[in-house]
Amino acid sequence: MLTVGQLSRGELDRQLAGAGIRLGTGRFTTCLRSAIPSVADGIHLLYADYPLRPADGFADFHLQLTRPRNLRRWLGPQVTLLYDGRSLFKPLPLDQAFPMFEWGLNWCVSSRANRYLIVHAAVIEKGGRAAILPAPPGSGKSTLCAALVGRGGWRLLSDELTLLRLDDGEIVPLPRPISLKNGSIDVIRDYVPDSVMSRPVTDTVKGTVAHVRAPAASVARAADTARPAWVVFPRYEASAALQAVPLARGDTFMQLAGNCFNYSLLGAEGFTALAGLVEQSAGLRFTYSVLDEALAYFDALAAVP
Amino acid sequence: MQWRIVPGQTLLHRGWEDGCVLYNDLSGDTHLLTDNAMQLLLALRDGDVDADELAAPELATVLETLAGLDLIERC
Repeated sequence: MLTVGQLSRGELDRQLAGAGIRLGTGRFTTCLRSAIPSVADGIHLLYADYPLRPADGFADFHLQLTRPRNLRRWLGPQVTLLYDGRSLFKPLPLDQAFPMFEWGLNWCVSSRANRYLIVHAAVIEKGGRAAILPAPPGSGKSTLCAALVGRGGWRLLSDELTLLRLDDGEIVPLPRPISLKNGSIDVIRDYVPDSVMSRPVTDTVKGTVAHVRAPAASVARAADTARPAWVVFPRYEASAALQAVPLARGDTFMQLAGNCFNYSLLGAEGFTALAGLVEQSAGLRFTYSVLDEALAYFDALAAVP
Repeated sequence: MQWRIVPGQTLLHRGWEDGCVLYNDLSGDTHLLTDNAMQLLLALRDGDVDADELAAPELATVLETLAGLDLIERC
């Protein structure tokens, strides 16, 4: 199967600026069009290992990043994201075009893929068992996730969207670039020196953001589902001693439900799926400050049969 | 004064060591209830609680709480 990396840079630019590429990420296909150079830069750098689906095939999402023709273009160049040809979001400064693609694709999945229960959580796998890491922004979720897949030998299923299949409770991978913010960018640059990272973009609504390329081995296994085994609520706290406190199932359920995008929409079906997940997972409240210690703890978790 | 389960509630729930989670069919909300509250709901559903018991002051708070969650109603 043709991958993005097999296209020459010129051909990638030409296709993006023309009819678009059909980018395969896990079970989703996105038709992406854009003539903006920074979008092509990001796709070229971070999506080289991803399959390109046939140009005449089905696409789940149709996205276009373009420069709006409004008054603001005379003051500061902007980018707008079109979903099915319509603009759903306010334009952003042009420099934020690639992050806008990442955020837009997250929005597509989280608001449209209702055959899954979708948790706002990173999810990683080792030995067929998945650890789900739900957490609000700023909790250190993505930093921990990047360290675990970059150095800890865990497989990346997703940094942002945990997809729980409703009929059998399996977690369906959606390996995509890991989004890092502010201080985490330098932390991961130092901790995982061979990571491939996009150029940091400043002054976004999230501060400075950069994206880390998903490991090729994780992308190659995007069709391999995993069983939920742990629900770990991480929290980075400077200088804190590592602490992992078991959480009771009821608490785990309620906190997970609070991190779901479509729990209410799915109603009783979502309740049943989430209850099944909680019944087969150990819940933990996890505080860390030193990545080496956190990775050792996760190693020990995975070593228990 | 009698109480009954609000019609339409299926009492979809799971019980664990720290209590029960229950899905409210009518509001779409999910509640974390004590095991005792869940047992009272199931007894009301099954007609397994009599008027004298329901009138006991000790149950007043939990009954009002369950009514506030639209799980039971007076009848």
